[in-house]
Amino acid sequence: MKHILHEAFRSPKFVTGFVIFMAILALVVFYPLFVTDHPLAIIGQGTFFPPGIYVSVYDTTNAPQYTMMLPEAEGNRIGAKLGDVEREAMREWLIDFGIPRAEIDIDDTAKLMTLWDAYYDPALRFQGMTSARQKYFARLDASLEGLLVMEPRVIAVPNTETGAFEASQSIELTDFVNVNEVANVRVLPLGTDNFGRDMLTQLVSAIGTSLQIGLVAGTVATLIGLTLGLMAGYIGGLVDDVIMFFTNLFTAIPGIVLLILISYSIGQENRGAVTVAVVIGVTSWVWTTRAVRAQVISLRNRDHVNLSKLSGHSIFHIIFADILPYILSYVVMAFILQISSGILAEAGLSILGLGPKTTDVPTLGLMMRWAMIYSAHILNKWWAFFPVIVAIALISFSLNLMNTGLDQVFNPALRE
Amino acid sequence: MKGYRKYFGAKLIWFGVTLVAAFMLNFILPRLMPGDPVAVITQRVTQGMTSQTGVQKVYEEYANLFGTTKPMHEQFILYMGNMLKGDLGTSFSQYPRPVSDIIRSSVWWTVSLQFPAIIVGWLLGNLLGALAAYLKKGWDKVLMPVSIFVSNLPAFGSAIILLVIFGVQLSLLPTSGGYGFDLIPNFSFRFIWSVFVHYQLPFWSIVLISIGGQAIGMRSMAIYELNADYVKYARFLGIKDRKIIGYVFRNAMLPQITGLALSIGTMVGGALVAETIFSYPGLGSTIFSAVMGQDYPLISATTLIITLMVLFATFAIEILYGFIDPRIKAAQTEQ
Amino acid sequence: MGKVMLEVRELTTKYITRFNEDIYAVDHVSLKVEEGKSLGIAGESGCGKSTLALSLMGYYFPPLYYTSGDIIINERNISGMDPDEVRKSILGKEIAYIPQAAMNALNPTQKVINFVEDVIHAHEPTATKKDIYDMARQRFEILGLPAEVLQKYSVELSGGMKQRTVIAISVILGPKVLIADEPSSALDVTSQKMVIKMLRDLMDRGMIKSMIFITHELPLLYNVTDDIMVMYAGQMVEHATAEQAVFDPLHPYARGLMGSIIVPESGLRGHKLAAIPGVPPNLKKPPSGCRFAERCKYVTPTCRAVSVNMREAANDREYRCIFAEQELREMYKNE
Repeated sequence: MKHILHEAFRSPKFVTGFVIFMAILALVVFYPLFVTDHPLAIIGQGTFFPPGIYVSVYDTTNAPQYTMMLPEAEGNRIGAKLGDVEREAMREWLIDFGIPRAEIDIDDTAKLMTLWDAYYDPALRFQGMTSARQKYFARLDASLEGLLVMEPRVIAVPNTETGAFEASQSIELTDFVNVNEVANVRVLPLGTDNFGRDMLTQLVSAIGTSLQIGLVAGTVATLIGLTLGLMAGYIGGLVDDVIMFFTNLFTAIPGIVLLILISYSIGQENRGAVTVAVVIGVTSWVWTTRAVRAQVISLRNRDHVNLSKLSGHSIFHIIFADILPYILSYVVMAFILQISSGILAEAGLSILGLGPKTTDVPTLGLMMRWAMIYSAHILNKWWAFFPVIVAIALISFSLNLMNTGLDQVFNPALRE
Repeated sequence: MKGYRKYFGAKLIWFGVTLVAAFMLNFILPRLMPGDPVAVITQRVTQGMTSQTGVQKVYEEYANLFGTTKPMHEQFILYMGNMLKGDLGTSFSQYPRPVSDIIRSSVWWTVSLQFPAIIVGWLLGNLLGALAAYLKKGWDKVLMPVSIFVSNLPAFGSAIILLVIFGVQLSLLPTSGGYGFDLIPNFSFRFIWSVFVHYQLPFWSIVLISIGGQAIGMRSMAIYELNADYVKYARFLGIKDRKIIGYVFRNAMLPQITGLALSIGTMVGGALVAETIFSYPGLGSTIFSAVMGQDYPLISATTLIITLMVLFATFAIEILYGFIDPRIKAAQTEQ
Repeated sequence: MGKVMLEVRELTTKYITRFNEDIYAVDHVSLKVEEGKSLGIAGESGCGKSTLALSLMGYYFPPLYYTSGDIIINERNISGMDPDEVRKSILGKEIAYIPQAAMNALNPTQKVINFVEDVIHAHEPTATKKDIYDMARQRFEILGLPAEVLQKYSVELSGGMKQRTVIAISVILGPKVLIADEPSSALDVTSQKMVIKMLRDLMDRGMIKSMIFITHELPLLYNVTDDIMVMYAGQMVEHATAEQAVFDPLHPYARGLMGSIIVPESGLRGHKLAAIPGVPPNLKKPPSGCRFAERCKYVTPTCRAVSVNMREAANDREYRCIFAEQELREMYKNE
């Protein structure tokens, strides 16, 4: 065993897989120590906030202010509202309105704004302009309001007695706050999902749940596969025939069909994460059974097993002492693969709507399902689905790498 | 020919056995639900339904379909009779449309999408795997990690990535449906072109999924074959490497055919999920909406059809394999 | 003295492991085989004898690499020759090989005749199918193999038949040197005898000019070859006539090897059975002194300190030991 581990850690594939997997595991274990929010807590009022640092506008006005004279400040301010796309759009509108192209210089912000302010009329709809486009121009116009105004902004507070607004604070164009001094800043590295839940917190928690599902499914499948494989291989005869008949049968019938039927039969209310994991395990033992049986058959007549039989050892002793240690490597490899296929199966089931109960825990599959239902992929909200896909791919990539590494340790012919 | 007859006979019998088992499972699984299955299904189907007569109607519909008042064996005969008549019950989510009608309209989309895609993916994967095994140094270092990573992308993952790149970012291809939503199926050029364009993304994402796994399997097989004694012997007789690669490729490919037969079920499973991503009008999307609509008869029938498709495909591959590999013939005549 | 068919001078070849370690499996080996003569090479498994067989072909592929030394076949020095030239003009034509595991030496999915065609086309691209068939058929019949064998797949042949087919294919181009690597060890006694008879037959008919026979059973060589060379840990340790090597070995290892085998052959009965304790040294880091020192009964501190070279003894014999011939004989007598 020590030798195998030593060999395994000399295989670059195994080591790469191991490091990735341990990194994922470390994330799952340590992240909740720093971010203690409930993963399903809804923090955003709205769907799909993009990733970024969210600073409380209210608290910003209360934070200490610093005056900084930055030459690029004005350009940035205008640029944020008036990018190339907007400038092009404005030209398009002006040309449609009847201004000669030569008179419009979209690089000169002041001139462009003068033209726009002079002619833009939200009520106008030119030939071929969709109503969506018309609305776009109206929104654009609204956002440009006061763009070139260089006056300070005044914050007004209602007077408790008269109800009239009284200026309480004036914000200059050169006023800055230090983000560290603002009372409420929330970093959302992966934004929020369709419900306004922090994607990263949810993702970490989902990875944890999915790993547990994989582990449970893998354990169940391995235990069933190992038991059946040992029985079929060691006892042989009729037992072997019967077990192999069912194994072949369940190889022929697609696993997803069984998964769908059983999951549906259990019903939404009864489908916890563990139940789903067990169902996955129960439907995916065939490969382990085949592998174990083949190994046991090749072992069954080895000298040390025969010796053990002649010595009158019990069947359990023979299996645990003389057979299991020799097939352990295959069982471990099959187990690793079962974990990753378990995670994939959960994801597939959840997308079809047969995953674990939805309000209970996040899983990678459920995150995918919601992203799909809310068309995150069509709306190009990449942060709602891409990290999930990457997480699934990384988990199964790392597990498969470890498996391939072990395979090369056990089967030298595959080495390069 | 005698050897072949034995092989094909055995395969045919097994095909029959698995068919019967598929029907049995389809029959038994819902009846294994705790309590009165009809009541359970009815309760689930009628969630939110207020009209008591409506609930009663649903209950009777199911009781009829299942024949739950009769003993088990009569229920099975009733069930098989309905199957033979092509009567798969009535859909609840699309009431009163018969289930067989829904299946009929979606099954060909799935068949014409998945089987070509899986075969193309299988061929490309084998080609890449053999190449990786042969070119070991260099290409292998690049191709292998990439194809291992790609094969670890879940089926729906690569579908979404393709969709986002080609459908959303580049706006080259439509992102959902089997044809333009403004078209009515007919034989016009416009419709056929629309079908073709909508076919691309689902097709290539299934191809992509099947490539990775096949490439890895083929590479292992080919490396195993490259180390076989006959390769060494042929080399020492002065046979050119290119010719030997031909032997290796052929020999490594043969078990891959059996591999395809064994894994086609898993592949179809992945491809069904990929279908739903593109809202492709096939069986995947049918299951998706059936689950959404708590439509038990539709789920049951769809899974049955999928099973039958897979069993038939497996059977066809095995028959084909018998003709291609001389070892089958030899093994049979020896006995 | 006959014409020298194969001469090897100080040949060294190595394996490079995947951890980039060098293993010198053949370490400065020299040998000579004359026309009409045969040489046996014996040693435990892992002593480098099979690697020597591969190295003699002058055609290397990873993980085996040529390091230094000369191989002269029929007056042509092939070390340093372009590999494709070796393939075309040497392999099969000048030097041929019978692999250890003839069971798997033939491509399982190819008919024997098609393989023969490939072998001949590799050297004579213009040969017609009919010529090849006639020639192969004639050769097979001379060697007592029915012509039907040509139309069969290797999986359809029995073990002994397969081995004889492999031998017939190996010599089809009339090579000067035939290297047989344990051609009989996987067979039952009857087939073994048949194979050995066939090899002798080949020599008698002049279908091959000389032969190297490799085995782990030293006594087997007594009946087959003229000379015997014993290898240990990549080096030659004894070289003598078959008679001397079997009945009067000088090197302690050769003596041990004689004793480690149960031999039913007459004249060899009565020898003490004594397995040699210990295992051969790790060739990744070979000991600097005598490589057999750790397992030798007569070891002295000097053995471990100085490197030992081949030395000559009476009757054109050679052996690798620090003791003189007389000293060794004295020690053996006192046992």
